[in-house]
Amino acid sequence: MAYVKWAFIIIFWGTIAVILQYSLPQHDVVRIVNTYEERQDLTDWTRIFWSEPEDQSTSLSNRDVQFIQAVRANGKPIVYRNEDTGWGWPPYFKFDTANLYTEANDAKSTKDNPDWVVVTHYGWRNEFMSIFPNAIFIRHVEGPDVRIVPWFNIVFLTIFAALVWAIWVRWRRFRQKKIDPVLENMEDGLYAAGDAIDEKRKGFRRWLDSWKSK
Amino acid sequence: MFGAMRLFLILLVVQTIAYFALSFYSRGVRRRKLETWWDERGKTGNKEAFVARGLHVYDNSFRRKLILGVYIVPWVAIGALIYIVNYM
Repeated sequence: MAYVKWAFIIIFWGTIAVILQYSLPQHDVVRIVNTYEERQDLTDWTRIFWSEPEDQSTSLSNRDVQFIQAVRANGKPIVYRNEDTGWGWPPYFKFDTANLYTEANDAKSTKDNPDWVVVTHYGWRNEFMSIFPNAIFIRHVEGPDVRIVPWFNIVFLTIFAALVWAIWVRWRRFRQKKIDPVLENMEDGLYAAGDAIDEKRKGFRRWLDSWKSK
Repeated sequence: MFGAMRLFLILLVVQTIAYFALSFYSRGVRRRKLETWWDERGKTGNKEAFVARGLHVYDNSFRRKLILGVYIVPWVAIGALIYIVNYM
């Protein structure tokens, strides 16, 4: 029973952690090298990793998506998609895709004369599923080893933890006061019933034993 | 615009549920507090009248109106987000 309970707890918090990890903004220091548009098929289950910027897009089986190609400070490539999130999930309310595309094109630079930018994005890059993080902001910075403090995530996660803690404490208090006594009552009742059955058993045994030849 | 309508409707429903849940919870907490106060110190006059008076004061208090923040804060946050993401 304890294993089942822990399995539930781990699955529940694991799901929340994964959703937060996907949705919260992250920062990469990169050099933008190019941008391109590509028609994407949106009919299989990986549809959930693409935005639904406007209502028509739910019924489309494919559409053009803008991409931003970049290289990280360590030389590894990263490709972002550039899509409106619109009014949907995650709630970034991004409507300025075309503007961001312009900024990205403006920030292109070469290896010899790099122009480092911080790309704020959410989402995951996965080569097997062909999914891409969605770029939100592009900000110019001095160099590749600039220090970025994720203020939004600090504030958000602090408030989130406080909220969870507040609800949990109240729930525990409520349980101790209202539910535990009832359960204990039931348990006592069960034990009493068990004892009574034992008693009966003993009586029955004694009677059976009385038939045995001594 | 259907997406916006959907968001607003869902948010409104969630906010209304949260508003009523918080209101009842907060009033219950205040009632319990008043009862403990009376048990510990007061004990002059009628307990029910004391609690009723205390709750009446609570109903007109600023603390009570703070729960309306449930309606205001998300809209302000959405407005701020739209401005920051798209115009900054």
